[in-house]
Amino acid sequence: MMKRMLTTLVTLMIVGALAACGQSTTPNGASSSTNTPTNAASEAPESSSDVITHDANAKIASMSIHITNNLLALGIKPAGSVVGGDVKDFLPHVADQLEGVSKLGVVTDPDMESVLALKPDVIYIDEVYTGDDLAKFEKIAPTISIDMDNGTWRDHLNRIAQHVGKEKEAEAFIKDYEEKAERVKGLISAELGQDAKVMAIRMTAKELRVMGMKRPVGPIMFEDLALNPAVGVEKITDEPYAVISQEVLPDFDADAIFVIISKGNEAKANFDELEKNLVWKNLKAVKNKHVYVLDGQKWLDYSSIGHSMALDDAEQLFTK
Amino acid sequence: MASLEQKRTTRAILVGIILITVAAAVIVVSLNTGTIRLSPSSIWRTLLGGGSFDEQLILFEYRMPRIIITLLAGIGLGISGAVLQGVSRNSLADPGILGIHAGAALGLIMFVSFFRNMEGPTALLIPMFTFAGGAVISILIFMLAYDRFKGMIPIRLILVGIAVEAGVSALTLFLSLRLDEDTYSFAARWLAGSVWGREWVNVWALLPWIVLLVPIVYLRSRSLDLFALGDETAAGVGSHVTRNRVIMLALAVALSCASVSMAGGIGFIGLIAPHIARRLAGPQHRHFLPIAALIGLVILVTADTVGRSIFQPNAIPAGVVVAAIGGPYFLYLLLSTKPNSRRNS
Repeated sequence: MMKRMLTTLVTLMIVGALAACGQSTTPNGASSSTNTPTNAASEAPESSSDVITHDANAKIASMSIHITNNLLALGIKPAGSVVGGDVKDFLPHVADQLEGVSKLGVVTDPDMESVLALKPDVIYIDEVYTGDDLAKFEKIAPTISIDMDNGTWRDHLNRIAQHVGKEKEAEAFIKDYEEKAERVKGLISAELGQDAKVMAIRMTAKELRVMGMKRPVGPIMFEDLALNPAVGVEKITDEPYAVISQEVLPDFDADAIFVIISKGNEAKANFDELEKNLVWKNLKAVKNKHVYVLDGQKWLDYSSIGHSMALDDAEQLFTK
Repeated sequence: MASLEQKRTTRAILVGIILITVAAAVIVVSLNTGTIRLSPSSIWRTLLGGGSFDEQLILFEYRMPRIIITLLAGIGLGISGAVLQGVSRNSLADPGILGIHAGAALGLIMFVSFFRNMEGPTALLIPMFTFAGGAVISILIFMLAYDRFKGMIPIRLILVGIAVEAGVSALTLFLSLRLDEDTYSFAARWLAGSVWGREWVNVWALLPWIVLLVPIVYLRSRSLDLFALGDETAAGVGSHVTRNRVIMLALAVALSCASVSMAGGIGFIGLIAPHIARRLAGPQHRHFLPIAALIGLVILVTADTVGRSIFQPNAIPAGVVVAAIGGPYFLYLLLSTKPNSRRNS
């Protein structure tokens, strides 16, 4: 008797789960068909594949901090933006440019009600994070989905410029950037010499990382500034960075070391500790005083404005 | 005897009515809470099918699914805790303390490691994985707590549970450290008891478990009453003690695992809800089970509402809010429990 009941129960549950599965694979999902008296069809006439263009003064909700920063590079201040997941606020290096902008939650957990309350004219989302929720955003306003994993920041900037009709500004920004990169390159090689091999390390609260050839730091250092990677750095290509122990620092044989210290006291303390270490003190770069502490947020921000600010940071470090 | 019975029934019904009112009030307040303020009247209008498009969007798409999930999970955890306390004859039993949640967490971490994606239809599989994890760990705990001659030993159940939980949590932590950063932050939030299920699909994943299992528990509540008499007496009046115990435990595990799969690893509700319920409605399970469910509901919905509103813009996981109240309550129980009492009161 008991057995029969349990069998029935389990069967029912599996059937229930399967039925729900079937339901949710239909395009609109179980949600809208059952409980939402929806008139969404008229609200979202455009599909994301068409290039939506809109006025540069439109009310924009940006659901990616990188899209926000690319907008800023074009001289556009969005009406609302998500905040950085780490700092739970706008990224410090652009915070002053985002004064008065509504905060819309974190990219992985956007606050839909704030987005709705903002009543934006257009929404930008990062396909990588929020692509699956496209339909949800389209109920609020026409939504532009940009794949921020695809292409370089120049591509992102150009793509966004297309939507807001600011292609010229994007071009000018990139040209300006290339010129600045050229200038900084000169400054650096004047200081370190043509063949200097460099590496960038990042000290976090729990580990020491060597930044590799990939984003965010690789492209600007080893392509835009055309610096030579230190021994072994060129092998870090699968991940943005590799975690190392302090003992292997000499193996990289770097002529100069760029240091990024994560925010927080622990990371700072870790770096102070490292500076007292004999291994560190005996490094070629340290002996020659070629250690440069970077303004980390700018370098880690893979966006047009972040990179531009990173160059400014470098320019300042090497102009003395 | 009959009059006492009747008195208790009346009392339970009365308490039930009051709690339903409280629950309704809490739900309305919760529906009311969010970035956009909706007045109760506009909520009422929207619920009846009126309201602007925005109001409908807020209510039905953003707030309702989440509230239904907390409501269902609250019921599931309350009942599960009541069953576990009945089965183990120990008022300190709780799915979290027994290590069932740790097993569910392990199941979830395994799931994330395999599938990564938390969106869409795969969400429906999460309860299966947490249940599998919880079930495996429970079986382990039961086997360790089983004595060949005495059957399941209640106190050993708790102690073994605590020990196994520590081990399993370590394993979960180890696995979660190997996840990439985004998945890890999800897992961390889940472990802290953040109600992450906010879509209707999550509601459908949880609903069948609660709707089917809670009535079954209720229909079998008599066997819980018999456990309270002690194993020998229960066996003497014709109860298959060990078999009943296994069935009830399985039901409790299923309920709590399904609940935490959508609501995150929330402890203490399974501990507090049955306690308060027993004080309000007396020791008979058929009286206090529904009350425990309602109290679980009220606690979790309140905790989630408080967590997501008071500390704006940084929401606090509901589990943290519950733990902030539940922890001290647990200590209070621990200290005030006299040996050999508290079984029935």
